[in-house]
Amino acid sequence: MSGRHARPDMNGTGNESDVTTAIPMVAGGSASGSTILQASGVTMQFGGLRALNDVSFGLSEGEIIGLIGPNGAGKTTLFNCLTGLYAPTSGAVSLRGNPMPQDPARVTEQGVARTFQNIRLFPSMTAAENVMVGRHVRMKQSPLSSLLHGPSFRRSEAEAAERTEKLLAFVGLSQFAGELARNLPYGDQRRLEIARALATDPAVLLLDEPTAGMNAQETEATRQLIFAIRDLGISVVVIEHDTKFIFTLCDRVLVLVQGELLVEGSPDEVRGDPRVVEAYLGAPPDEVDAQIHAAEDEGENHR
Amino acid sequence: MTTIEKAPSQALAEPPRGRLAALAPYTSVLRIVGGVLTLVGAFLPWATFVLNDGPYPEGATLEFFSEPFGVSGFRLHLVLLGLASIVVALVPVAAKGRIVRGFGWGVIAISIVNGLYITVEGGGFGAITASDGTAAFGAFVALVGGVVLVVGATAGGIDPPTHWDLKLGRVVEWLILLVAYAIVLLLVAAVLTSGGQGGAANPFSGAVFLSFLGAVGGAIAGLHASGLLGWIARMSERHRIYSVIVLLLAALALPLTSAGTEYWMTVAANIGVYAATAIGLNIVVGLAGLLDLGYVAFLGIGAFVAANLSGAAASVVGIELPFPLVLVIAAVVAGCFGAVVGSPTLRVRGDYLAIVTLAFGEIFVRSAQNNIGGLTGGSNSIPNIPPVELFGKGFNESVTIGALNLPSGVLYYVLIVLIVAAVMWVFGNLKNSRLGRAWIAIREDEDAARAMGIRTGPIKILAFLIGAMLAGFAGAFFAHKLGTASYESFRFLESVTLLAAVILGGMGTIPGAVLGASVLFVLPEKLREFADYRLLLFGLALVLIMRFRPQGLVPDAHRRAELAPESEAPPDHPDDGPAGGTTVKAAAT
Repeated sequence: MSGRHARPDMNGTGNESDVTTAIPMVAGGSASGSTILQASGVTMQFGGLRALNDVSFGLSEGEIIGLIGPNGAGKTTLFNCLTGLYAPTSGAVSLRGNPMPQDPARVTEQGVARTFQNIRLFPSMTAAENVMVGRHVRMKQSPLSSLLHGPSFRRSEAEAAERTEKLLAFVGLSQFAGELARNLPYGDQRRLEIARALATDPAVLLLDEPTAGMNAQETEATRQLIFAIRDLGISVVVIEHDTKFIFTLCDRVLVLVQGELLVEGSPDEVRGDPRVVEAYLGAPPDEVDAQIHAAEDEGENHR
Repeated sequence: MTTIEKAPSQALAEPPRGRLAALAPYTSVLRIVGGVLTLVGAFLPWATFVLNDGPYPEGATLEFFSEPFGVSGFRLHLVLLGLASIVVALVPVAAKGRIVRGFGWGVIAISIVNGLYITVEGGGFGAITASDGTAAFGAFVALVGGVVLVVGATAGGIDPPTHWDLKLGRVVEWLILLVAYAIVLLLVAAVLTSGGQGGAANPFSGAVFLSFLGAVGGAIAGLHASGLLGWIARMSERHRIYSVIVLLLAALALPLTSAGTEYWMTVAANIGVYAATAIGLNIVVGLAGLLDLGYVAFLGIGAFVAANLSGAAASVVGIELPFPLVLVIAAVVAGCFGAVVGSPTLRVRGDYLAIVTLAFGEIFVRSAQNNIGGLTGGSNSIPNIPPVELFGKGFNESVTIGALNLPSGVLYYVLIVLIVAAVMWVFGNLKNSRLGRAWIAIREDEDAARAMGIRTGPIKILAFLIGAMLAGFAGAFFAHKLGTASYESFRFLESVTLLAAVILGGMGTIPGAVLGASVLFVLPEKLREFADYRLLLFGLALVLIMRFRPQGLVPDAHRRAELAPESEAPPDHPDDGPAGGTTVKAAAT
C-alpha cells in the first residue's frame, strides 16, 4: 500500500504531463488556459419534476470544485448532464468552448471521465482488466488486428498493460491487479473506479461521492489521491456529503438546493453563508443520515 | 523427485457439518469400511437370473463366480475406486476427505445406475431376490459402501484441493504433458464409445455409458482434489504453444483409437459442428452478454448457401464452387444476416432482445419451410449435396495410408477438427483484445462501458456479425457432411440446445462450449435406449448440473483466480462492509 500516499509518477520518466498530452486537443480549446468545462443555464425537466433549474458554472484547468447539497438537489443529475447521459432540456454544456456531444462514449473520448455514486465496476473482470477497458478510447487497435494479433496489436497491448500497471500503482492497488473486481474491499473498489476513469486520459474527472462508506483513514487517502490527480493537471469535480472533506479539498464549492445553484464560492464563504447553513448544514445529523439514504434511492431511480 | 510443497491455500477448509461432526473420530475407519464394502459389492452377484434382453454385460448374475476374479466393466471400476479409497485412507496425503468424497460419489453413481437398471429391466425385485431364496445383494452392498465413503470423507472435514508448486525441467514437463494428453485422448475415446452403438443389438449401452460416466466423474473429482489436475493445468499454461499443438494432434489422432469407426467418426463430426457453432454463440452470449434465441438460423444460412453453391441438382443457383470458397461465402452471407439481426440491439435490451432474436429464428425456419425464393427446397429440402472434394479426393471415402486403413468419415472428422481449431483461434484472439474486453464490459455493465468510451452500438453489432460468421462456417461443413440441407435441422429447439451448451459448459470459455456441445449432443444419443424416459433423463441431467454447478462445467473465473498472485492474503470480502466510519452508506448495488 506504499504507493497510496506517494506523489504520482504515472509514466515512470518523471514527465507528469503525459496523462494530458494524449488527449486530442479540440480546436480553439485551451488557448485561454482558464475555463475547460462550462455549463450555461442547464435545465433538466423529468415530466413535472424540474431536477435542475438554470445551473451555470465554469471549471478552470487544475481546479477542484466541490458540489454539495441536500439529497434530491440534483447533483447526480447535473453529472449526468455533464457526461452526455442526459440531454439537458435547455441550456448547454461545452468543453473547451465546443458543445458537449450527447453520447457518453464520445464525451469520454473528448476527455471527461467519471465515477459512479454506487460503484459500477465490471465485477467479473480483474482489477487490471477494468483499467484496460478504460484504455479502450486511447488504444489504436482495429477489429482485424484484434483478430490477427500482429506486431501493432502487441505494441498497443503492451502500452495499455504498462499504463494499467502504473495507474494501479498510482491508486495503490498493484497487489490486487489479478483479483476480480467484485472481490476487492469496498474502499479499494472506489479507488479502482478512479483508476479506470484515469485510464481514459481525461482532462476533467467527475467523482460522484468518492468517499461514501469509507472510514477516516480511507477518506484521507482519497483526499491525497484527488490532490495527486489535480497535480497531474486534471480538473476535478467532486460530489460529496461529507462537508468537512469538501471544505478541506476544494478550491471552490457549489451548493445545489432543489435544482438551483444557491451559493458559489470558496470553502470559507460557503461555510459562513447562512442560507447554506439553513438549507443543508443546519439539519440535525440524524436527519442528514436519513436524507442520505433517500438520496441514494433517488439516484438509483434516475439512472 | 523434488518434494511437493503445499502452498497456503486460498479457500478455507469446510468444517464437518451438523451431525456428521460426531463421526469425526472415526473417519479413517469409515473410509476403510466404505472401501471394503465397495470391494465386497463388486464381487457379489448383482442379479439372480439372466435378464430378458440377454445376459447383462460384465457377468452380473449369480453365474459370475464361474469365472473367478475375472473382473471387468463396472465391477472393475468399483474395485479400482474401492482400492483407491482404502489406499488414500491409509497413506498420508493432503485433502483426504475431498479425494475420498469424489471416489464415494463415483461408487454411488455406479451402484445406482446398474442396480436400478437391473431391477427395472429384470421386472422388479425378482431380479435381485429369486423365489428359490437366492439373492443378489451386490448393488445394495456397493451403494452402502459408497454412502459410507462419502459420510466418512465429509465427517473429517473437506479441505480445499491440494496445490502443487512443483516445477520440473522443460523436457520432463513436456513428456508429462504428452502422457497427460494421451490419457485424455484415450479417455475421450472410451467415454465416446462406452456402451457401444446402442440400439436393438445392444440394449444395455445407455446403462453402461452412464455407469462409466459415474466412474470417470468420481475418479476425476478425486484426482482434482489431490491437486494433480490443477498441477497439470498450470503446467500446460506454462507451455501454451506446445500444449495447443499436442492437443490438436491428439484430436486428430482420435481415428486411431477405439473410436476409429465410421459411426463414431460421424458422431464426432456432428459434435464438432455444434461445438464450432456453440463457440460462435459464446461470443454473442458469453462475451457480449446478448441473449440470442434464434442463433441456429445462422448455421442454417451457412448450410443453405453451401447447398446452393454445391452443384446439387435441387439448387436453383446451380453453380459449383470449390469448397474453401464456399466456406468463405457462407460465412460472409451469415455474417451479413448477423449484422441485420444485431441492429435492433442498439435500441433493445435484455429480455426484449431475446424476443427479437426468437422472432428472427422463426422467420428463418418458416421461410425455409416455404422454400423462399426456391433457395431452401422447402419440405423436400436440398438433397444429394455432393461430398466435399479436395485434391481429387472425395471426403466420404475411406483412407489408406500404408498399412493403416481408416474408415470413411475420417476426412470429414479431420476437416471439422481443423474448423473447430480455427474457430477457437478466432474466439481466443478476440477475447484477449480491445474488442473482447469491450464485449465483456458491455456484458458486465453497459452504462459503465459507455461511460468508459465504448461505442456500444457498433461493438454489439460486431459481436452478432462475427458470431454469425462462425456459425455460417460450420453450416457449410454441415450441409456437405450430411448431404442434405433441410429446414428441420434449424428449429427453435436447436437454438435452445446450443444456448444450453454455452451456459452448461461455462459462459465465455472455449473448453466450456466444446464440453457443453459434447454433453448436449452425445447424451441424447447415448440415452436412446431409455426410449420414453430419454428426454426426461436429459432434462434431469441439465437441472442437476445447473443446480450443483451454476457457473458451468468449465467456468471462467476459476482460471483467473488460479492465476492471481497466490502469496497474497485473500482480500476482505466486500460484503463485510466498510470498517467503521461515521457516515455509513451501503453501496446500492
